[in-house]
Amino acid sequence: MNSNGRGVEVDRQAMDVDIACAGFGPAMGGFLTTLTQAWTQNPADPAFQSRVAPSLPLQVVCYERADDLAAGVSGVVTRAEGIRSTFPALDPTQIPMAAGVTSERVLYLLDPIGASRRSALLRCGDFLLRLGKERWLKDHAFELPWTPAFLRKHGGLVLSIGQFNQWVGQQLMAGGFVQIWPGTVVSGPIFGDTPDREHREVAGLRLTDQGVDKHGAPAEGFMPGMDVRARLTVVGDGPVGAVGQKLDEHFGMPAGHARRDWALGMKMVIELPVDTTLEPGSVWHTFGFPEPEIFGFLYVHPHRLASVGIFIPSWLGDPARTAYRYLQHYIQHPALWRHLNGGTLRSWGAKSLEESGKRGEPFLVGHGFARIGEGSGSTNMLTGSGVDEAWTTGVQLGEAVLEILDAGLPFTQQNLAATYEAHRRTSRIERGLRQAEHARDGFHSGFVRGLIGMALAGLTGGRLSLKAHIPPAPRRILPFGIYGKSGLRLRDAAALIVADGRPLHDALLTARGWPDIPFDGRLLVTHQDALLLGGKVQAVPGYADHVVFLDRRRCISCDDKTCIAMCSGQALSLGEDGAPNFEREKCVHCGACLWNCSQSPDGERGNIEFHAGSGGLHSGEN
Amino acid sequence: MATTFHIAVCAGIVPDPLQTLEPTTTPGGPAIKNEMLLPAVLDPWAASALYEAADLASRVPGSKLWLVSLGPKARLQQVMMTVAQKVAFELVPIDSPQGGFADAAATAEAIASTIEAIPNLDRAKLLLFGGWESASRGAGVTLQFVGERLRIADQFFGVDQIIVHDDGSFEVLERVEGGKHQVSVCAGAPAVLGWATGNLAEPRNNPQIGMANMRTVMPALQRAKAAALDANGLRYVAVSLPRQQRETRVVQDMTPDQIAAELVAWIGKDR
Amino acid sequence: MESILVLTHADESGSALTKASLEAVTAGRDLAARLNAELRIGIVAAKPQLLSKGLLCAAPKGLQCAAPVLAVAGEAFAQARFASDAAACTELCRAAQPTLVLAPHSSRFARVMAAVAHRVGGAIDTHIAALGGAEGFETTRWFYRQRIEAVIRRDKRPWFLLLEPGTNPAFAADPHAPAAPSDQIAIAVELPELRTQVTGFRAPKVDEQTIRPDAQLLFVAGAGWTKKQPDGQVHTGEAAELILKFLRASGASLGSSKSLVDQGGEGNSVLPFLTHLNQVGQTGATPRHAKGLSTCCHGEEPHVVGWRFIGERRAVNLDPNCGWTRGKADVVYIADAFAVMQRVNALLGSSDT
Repeated sequence: MNSNGRGVEVDRQAMDVDIACAGFGPAMGGFLTTLTQAWTQNPADPAFQSRVAPSLPLQVVCYERADDLAAGVSGVVTRAEGIRSTFPALDPTQIPMAAGVTSERVLYLLDPIGASRRSALLRCGDFLLRLGKERWLKDHAFELPWTPAFLRKHGGLVLSIGQFNQWVGQQLMAGGFVQIWPGTVVSGPIFGDTPDREHREVAGLRLTDQGVDKHGAPAEGFMPGMDVRARLTVVGDGPVGAVGQKLDEHFGMPAGHARRDWALGMKMVIELPVDTTLEPGSVWHTFGFPEPEIFGFLYVHPHRLASVGIFIPSWLGDPARTAYRYLQHYIQHPALWRHLNGGTLRSWGAKSLEESGKRGEPFLVGHGFARIGEGSGSTNMLTGSGVDEAWTTGVQLGEAVLEILDAGLPFTQQNLAATYEAHRRTSRIERGLRQAEHARDGFHSGFVRGLIGMALAGLTGGRLSLKAHIPPAPRRILPFGIYGKSGLRLRDAAALIVADGRPLHDALLTARGWPDIPFDGRLLVTHQDALLLGGKVQAVPGYADHVVFLDRRRCISCDDKTCIAMCSGQALSLGEDGAPNFEREKCVHCGACLWNCSQSPDGERGNIEFHAGSGGLHSGEN
Repeated sequence: MATTFHIAVCAGIVPDPLQTLEPTTTPGGPAIKNEMLLPAVLDPWAASALYEAADLASRVPGSKLWLVSLGPKARLQQVMMTVAQKVAFELVPIDSPQGGFADAAATAEAIASTIEAIPNLDRAKLLLFGGWESASRGAGVTLQFVGERLRIADQFFGVDQIIVHDDGSFEVLERVEGGKHQVSVCAGAPAVLGWATGNLAEPRNNPQIGMANMRTVMPALQRAKAAALDANGLRYVAVSLPRQQRETRVVQDMTPDQIAAELVAWIGKDR
Repeated sequence: MESILVLTHADESGSALTKASLEAVTAGRDLAARLNAELRIGIVAAKPQLLSKGLLCAAPKGLQCAAPVLAVAGEAFAQARFASDAAACTELCRAAQPTLVLAPHSSRFARVMAAVAHRVGGAIDTHIAALGGAEGFETTRWFYRQRIEAVIRRDKRPWFLLLEPGTNPAFAADPHAPAAPSDQIAIAVELPELRTQVTGFRAPKVDEQTIRPDAQLLFVAGAGWTKKQPDGQVHTGEAAELILKFLRASGASLGSSKSLVDQGGEGNSVLPFLTHLNQVGQTGATPRHAKGLSTCCHGEEPHVVGWRFIGERRAVNLDPNCGWTRGKADVVYIADAFAVMQRVNALLGSSDT
């Protein structure tokens, strides 16, 4: 057994490929499509000859952790400039659930219940708005007279990322140049032999052990994870991906860079009532409810489907922050409920978003590896846009790889830096990221300051913004004490968990004055029903637990237990010894536990490790 | 062992078991709403048959294994990316509409004629494997029809085990009523075996098997012939989701003693 | 006009028709009366003459005569085997020339009837839950593991219908009825070479058979039985004892939720007598029982679809928001199942003695 108790020292099978890729999302879609399009035009080009399998074309394999390529989690609106540039003749009707953007609204939602935690300043603003009554407000919402340019997605697409991934994946696999293997978990990178960490080298990917118990020890049908050795390893496994995390741990981050801002996006795909007036392509951005810090969205797909969701940011200091119950209150806000009442839950899911943007950018290249997509810090936090940016970074790497192959050069750090990194630095993606770099800092000093900072950055192209010190995510979880009586009520609520098994966040929100959810079995369903009816969450046996508590004593003494409150799938519950219990079968792999832990052993990261795991969502409509 | 088998496993694809299914009417008859949006899997009982077939082929050297799968090409391709990592086979795809509402006899005809056309398949050595029922139509007749079309005189259904003897004969365990297995001994191939769950765990994902399979899977999919399925006079009068909403009496104020008394009276009623 | 042939077979003893066969006889009588159709009964058995008594007066309802009985006989039919059974049923059909063939959906007939339909140029549908149709004849069956119900018609004849056991009452002959048993018409069968021999039966190794398809009551245990109780402890041993005691006293069949069965694979302490065969729901069984009692199970939809054919439903659960309270059960008791089942067992124990 390794020193960390995970993985087993055994003889592993090994396999050589030319390019090994971890994670299939929009970035990898862009990368593999770029390669495939070039190969299709000239398959006989010697540049495409494999070095590991003579007489065959390049051996390009991509491993995806989820059980299906469509099991991605996101309903998105994107400007789709990069995607359209890859597919100039793109016809949205060919992609299930895709629609061109037809209208956009920005709504400030007031709190019709009176339970949200609003500052005096905000209450004052709400009061003034209410004075205007119907003139300014409809359904307890104030619509901005225009959508700020930086938020606009005009000409873009409303997409289901699950369906988009599937559409891209089908074309790639039918092309026959690349192989994409879902349900295959990559446990981490294989580092090069050099002991010098400055010389960043990756030699491939190690797949996870199968046929092990929950602690990773060999059990029935044990099969050690294979080593897939590659000339180039492409890492696009997202912000909580195991390969990306291990690279950061091993090589560190560039000076001044850290991943400290996060958000959990949780959303439902709702089949709208038959008489809905919402048009496909309609896009709503909301803020102000259920808590001021929680932003929300509603995107309308074709065929009466809508993606509706919220973002819970790491700078929401509440130690008992939670998502599912808030999402249920969100959809019941009168401005949304008017359209959603009578609808049916079709799908549900959650995902962590890396919100540090440029400041969370890791080393993009090294010897034999390159990083693309959200985990490479490509998300633009000002425009709230990540999919097209991720796609474009994949395309940029694809073009760089073609250049390197054409020149017959090896995939060294120098060659990758001179091509991929250099192209990326001069692209619109980088310009956007620089503009957005400090756009959201203000939120660390308060909600209103955050809005002002964002508006400043947006209106001045990033030249002006309200900068702030960004603390590590564990330090953003504020102790209960500062909430006074509400903190005490929380303790009472927590006691209820032991008494009747009720989850913490539910008890807490009720204690704070949020009304009980009037479950209707169709749209307002229990969290457990959302897992099974919406997310279709499943996990096959034979894999280790991928959520690991480093020091259980810290967990036992932790008052906050934010990991339990923020667990999207109720996979974490309070264990007998006072430490959280993890149930792999309920995990949706959102990765929230990674950044929702206040018990930091080193001041930077939490006490929870989030490894590569099998299973999760089986919904294709996300 | 001198015997070798040519095993053809018939396995369709079905929506992943936890998906929400809703029927809808199309010009071609009833269908599952948004079926192409739903993740698909290899039909679970047929998947047992595939794993058992691979196990058998590995125990009887010289045997061959074909996977005959019928469904929309794009869907088959997607499912194969998972299945192809588990066991080695040669894919024989049939491109056809998905769904359990198609007529079983028409489906069987398409499968049987495809198997007849498999080059180098020795019908005298044929073991025709499949699930004893699908998770879509759930009728348990398609495989039997195929066996009959191929004039196979021995058929077994609800199979959980096969043990091959040195002389090529084999013992089969079939599920019968009363939680028991019927034990039969068959003189040898050809035979039809419709599998229940069998005894094997799902094989682990093996990337090398996957890559080896892919060399034949993708070309086979590209060559897949389209099969139109005749309705054979089958007409659907109504297709609906059952509505079983009940008027629930929620009892919150009874003691365990009172509840127990009420339950015992209820259990005893009509006995 | 339709003419109906009901195919039946003997049980393992060879001296009686199976219950499912007699259910098919009931369905045949009802249908013949409704369609004003001819009714014949076919028997597959080694010694069919032993079985005639069971079919006394099995004419269509309202008629006093006996239905004509066609039978194949011989030692070959003592075994449930594809080659001999398919040949027998084919010859019975050829002799009777029916337009509709009703038969029980037993393992024996499910093994052969599609082949028989193919041989006589007919069509077949299985797992038939109902025979109906105000205008014309139609049948009801389920698709996608009992999640979608469909009513179908076919033009093709003969139309073979395998009837789901439990959907009709078993026909009971009246030994005092005046009608004499009909003479059996012996049907000769030319058997093909028989390459298969049935050598016996094997029961799986389990300490106690907890699945009882004929039980009145389905008792479902959910994952709550193995969760910690108000004293902060897990009481798996006590749970196992309570459940087994209840099963013995009530004669109920044991079902389980997926989450409880799945715990077995992860090395947790779990009820020792549960296997995946007990699992009820979307990825498990859909049993038929008159009543169902759920305990410590949340009642989520994927589980409850397995209750499709459960008549009266009651649940005991601590959570007033559990799925059962939302139209999925008739009565839900918000209570601790440990306490309730202890008292239920005490009451059942005292009523037994």
